[in-house]
Amino acid sequence: MMSLAARSGAFSPYMQATAVTVAGPLQALVPGVVVKGENNLINPKKQFLCRESLNGQSPKTGPAVTVSINGCAGVRFAHTDIRIPDFSDYRRPEVLDPSKSSQESSESRRIFSYLVTGATTVVGVYTAKTVVSQFVSSMSASADVLALSKIEVKLSDIPEGKNMTFKWRGKPLFVRHRTEKEIATEVGVNIAELRDPQHDNDRVIKPSWVIVLGVCTHLGCVPIANAGDYGGYYCPCHGSHYDASGRIRKGPAPLNLEVPYYEFIDDETVMVG
Amino acid sequence: MALTKTVYNLLFRRTSTFAVTIMVGAILFERVFDQGGDAIFEQMNRGKLWTHIQHNYEKEGEE
Repeated sequence: MMSLAARSGAFSPYMQATAVTVAGPLQALVPGVVVKGENNLINPKKQFLCRESLNGQSPKTGPAVTVSINGCAGVRFAHTDIRIPDFSDYRRPEVLDPSKSSQESSESRRIFSYLVTGATTVVGVYTAKTVVSQFVSSMSASADVLALSKIEVKLSDIPEGKNMTFKWRGKPLFVRHRTEKEIATEVGVNIAELRDPQHDNDRVIKPSWVIVLGVCTHLGCVPIANAGDYGGYYCPCHGSHYDASGRIRKGPAPLNLEVPYYEFIDDETVMVG
Repeated sequence: MALTKTVYNLLFRRTSTFAVTIMVGAILFERVFDQGGDAIFEQMNRGKLWTHIQHNYEKEGEE
């Protein structure tokens, strides 16, 4: 029924049940503009009767061609009733008066504009930096993961000549307290005859302590400490012999035992990881 | 007014100095804003945080 009423066009006034006048869809020509008083160009009190009275109704500017002594040919009625929009609510108080020069107040207005721009940009830069750093830091490892990634070893528990195994990041970690004799032997090894040439000093921080990962570089078995031809480690799986510095000396393994990052907190403690 | 005029002429007039001003201002603003926020948080939670009651549980020279 509603669609019929809407589409019936010219008949719609007769098909409506009510005769109440409601506001039409026509909007003001310049919406959203504050209007302070009407400012019509024509004088509505003047009688609109003859050519002479029309003379006063027409706008004073624009194309007007005189064809007689007192007649105005270019009489334009269109747009003479348009209200002049009043933008004074949007203007700064310094430039409200159109007759006053805006030159004197230009500096303060400019400083204000730059200050507002600068302050907004400062806050924007801070926000952007915070958001970006939040996202980037969310990619790094969390604190509980980082806490598990380190192990502290109390060195006084390990007697000289002994090797102890710890679990570190799911892998066995060998901490070996070497004797003076072992240190002298390993330092004196000729690097040229090694498969993976590496001097003993490059593999240890303190010569008494060798800290290596207990994973054979061949196929990943766990070597046995204080065994093998060189008195260091021996892998039972395929017979790789490592010396007391964890270097490969004999067997199928291609590389020395891996040395993790570690640092001595004090004389008694070492932190691995 | 003279101060703002000096600031405008020194910092805002050129785009280069304006950009540098914004960067330095952002760093200063970050410090002030973050530390101010932390201070307000600690003020509102006075006596509840670990740093406030730590001395009750940890003795000197012990760790």
